[in-house]
Amino acid sequence: MNRAPILLAAAMCAAFAGTAQAAPDADALIRAAFDNWRAKSSETEVTMTVHRPDWERSLKMKAWTKGDDDALVRFVAPAKDAGNATLKQKNETWVFNPKLNQIIKLPGSMLAQSWMGSDFSYNDLSKADDLLTLYTHKLLSSAKDGTHTVYTIEADPKPGAPVVWGKLTAKVRDDGVMMAETYFDQDMKPVRAMTTDKVNRIGGREYPAVMTMRPVGEPGKWTRIETTSGSFDVTVPSYTFTLSNLQNPRD
Amino acid sequence: MGGFRFLLPLAWRSLWRNPRRTFITMLVVCVGLWSVLTFAVLLRAWSASSRDVAIRTITGEGQIHAQGYLDDPTVAHRLPPPDAGLMAVLNGGAVSAYSARVRLSAIVQSEYKTLPVTLVGVQPAHERQISVLPAQITAGHYLSGPDDVGIVLGSNLARRLKTRVGKRVVVMVQAADGHLAERAFQVVGLFAGPRTAEDEFVFTGLKTAQRFTGIGSDLSEIAFDVSNDAALPGVLAALERAVPGADVQSWKTLEPLSYAVSTFFDQFVLMWLWIIFLLMGFGIVNTQLMAVLERTREFGLLQALGMRPRLVLLEVALESVFLVGLGVALGAAAALATVSAFPKGIDLGFLARGAELAGAGHILYPVIVPSDFVTYSLMVWVLGVLATLWPARRASKVSPVEAMSHI
Repeated sequence: MNRAPILLAAAMCAAFAGTAQAAPDADALIRAAFDNWRAKSSETEVTMTVHRPDWERSLKMKAWTKGDDDALVRFVAPAKDAGNATLKQKNETWVFNPKLNQIIKLPGSMLAQSWMGSDFSYNDLSKADDLLTLYTHKLLSSAKDGTHTVYTIEADPKPGAPVVWGKLTAKVRDDGVMMAETYFDQDMKPVRAMTTDKVNRIGGREYPAVMTMRPVGEPGKWTRIETTSGSFDVTVPSYTFTLSNLQNPRD
Repeated sequence: MGGFRFLLPLAWRSLWRNPRRTFITMLVVCVGLWSVLTFAVLLRAWSASSRDVAIRTITGEGQIHAQGYLDDPTVAHRLPPPDAGLMAVLNGGAVSAYSARVRLSAIVQSEYKTLPVTLVGVQPAHERQISVLPAQITAGHYLSGPDDVGIVLGSNLARRLKTRVGKRVVVMVQAADGHLAERAFQVVGLFAGPRTAEDEFVFTGLKTAQRFTGIGSDLSEIAFDVSNDAALPGVLAALERAVPGADVQSWKTLEPLSYAVSTFFDQFVLMWLWIIFLLMGFGIVNTQLMAVLERTREFGLLQALGMRPRLVLLEVALESVFLVGLGVALGAAAALATVSAFPKGIDLGFLARGAELAGAGHILYPVIVPSDFVTYSLMVWVLGVLATLWPARRASKVSPVEAMSHI
């Protein structure tokens, strides 16, 4: 196998993450994808489209992240949903509903429920890091896509890791753009698949601008996440990821 | 007593002077008593089944908890491991079996679904003596010991989770330090039981559950059975003395529905008895009254021949003693025959899960309780005879002169 692109990618990953190992490996690629996606901190504007066989609706939101642990998402449109917000700190998740003017800490039982009616669950927000921390990664294959190389990585749960999936596969481009992610059940049948439909230059980096999550076997159901603008490695005020800011936005 | 020897054949023969009327009245008594007795047996079987399902599934005949556990079954309310005093009671003769458990509200997650359950950490050897679930494994095997790290799910729960033996599920539960503990468990077996139990309980090794939640060797509950029902209050009191401050409850408080079902059924049989008796009473009084009115001339003749009014009354009462007595005997025999027609129990399979809703198991085992049979039969007999005292009194009041002119 030609190892040059892997080395190149690993070098880029090292540049991005600063922590990646010198040897080219799947871990570094996954890490690179996360760093590309979230950087040290990020501020993005996103449109989420939830599609169902008989209806479709779009929600606009602003999202902030800092490191691996902190994230805040606030909906801004449509008016009906504006003001709803979700805050994640480490393993804890809170939601704020402006109509109730109440903050609710999500119990574990609700984390697996759908987030704002989409094909994502609260867990997808709060446990996005699982792919990094609870799985071992191995490189399956690589393929050329125009000028880029796309690596297919299989992620297997570490022994005893509290994950339900049989395995995950991820496709990561050599510049650290996550191109696809597929979740398999323990019979290794795909359960749901996320694909990157469009890569754009956002905030000075190649970014998966349009991503779609599709549950397998349920045609006509999908959720699309479209990032319209974003800036990365910006200074996010420390008050952003607080309950007070969740309830009374200061931005 | 000489009067009796002469009255008995007289009453017996009078009874058969109008066989059709006698048969109809006997039939009323017979069907009435048959329904009371059969219902009593059925309801008793139902309430026994409901009690058995409640106790044998997981509850046991009593349980010990920390104060507050029953209101809030979390890791915050736990029992220390049993000390010597408690062990002495549990190993004593009055307690036939016990099982120490960790039992906590939890969440189980598969690839497809997340469901609320109750996580139960057990010592399989002890659990087998209290609960029937370990013996009702439909796939895989039950836990092998308190250190078993596998998990046993109800068949229906596994179906809902779309998982099976050999696959992995994630269980989330609140740990001793307050954080949400998560752990992957491999499904080692599936059990069958009442559907509510299949959906609610998941079992793992006691020590595994203790390590998982970080509670050392603490417990959530100790379930126990007593050697006989009469010993229960004594055992409860002994346990309360052995673990001061703990919450010791019998199945009557832990399974209020089953207890209510069993007490309600006892009352119901009595109510049914009264209703049936009232209906029977009308029938008997009516026939006997008709008979007495028809025989006015006869009673007049008897009195004219020198029979005392008291003896006339006795004669009519004796008639109904025979009449109701025959009906009672036939009714009891019919009920016996009905019950013994189901020597293997009554399969409620045709009710599907409906019977479970009312708390009963799939098969009812009707048992003849001799005291019930004797009491209810005697009650019907005595009350039936009492009801005929009115027509009998009327017969004894007949004036011979008037009666002789009566056509």
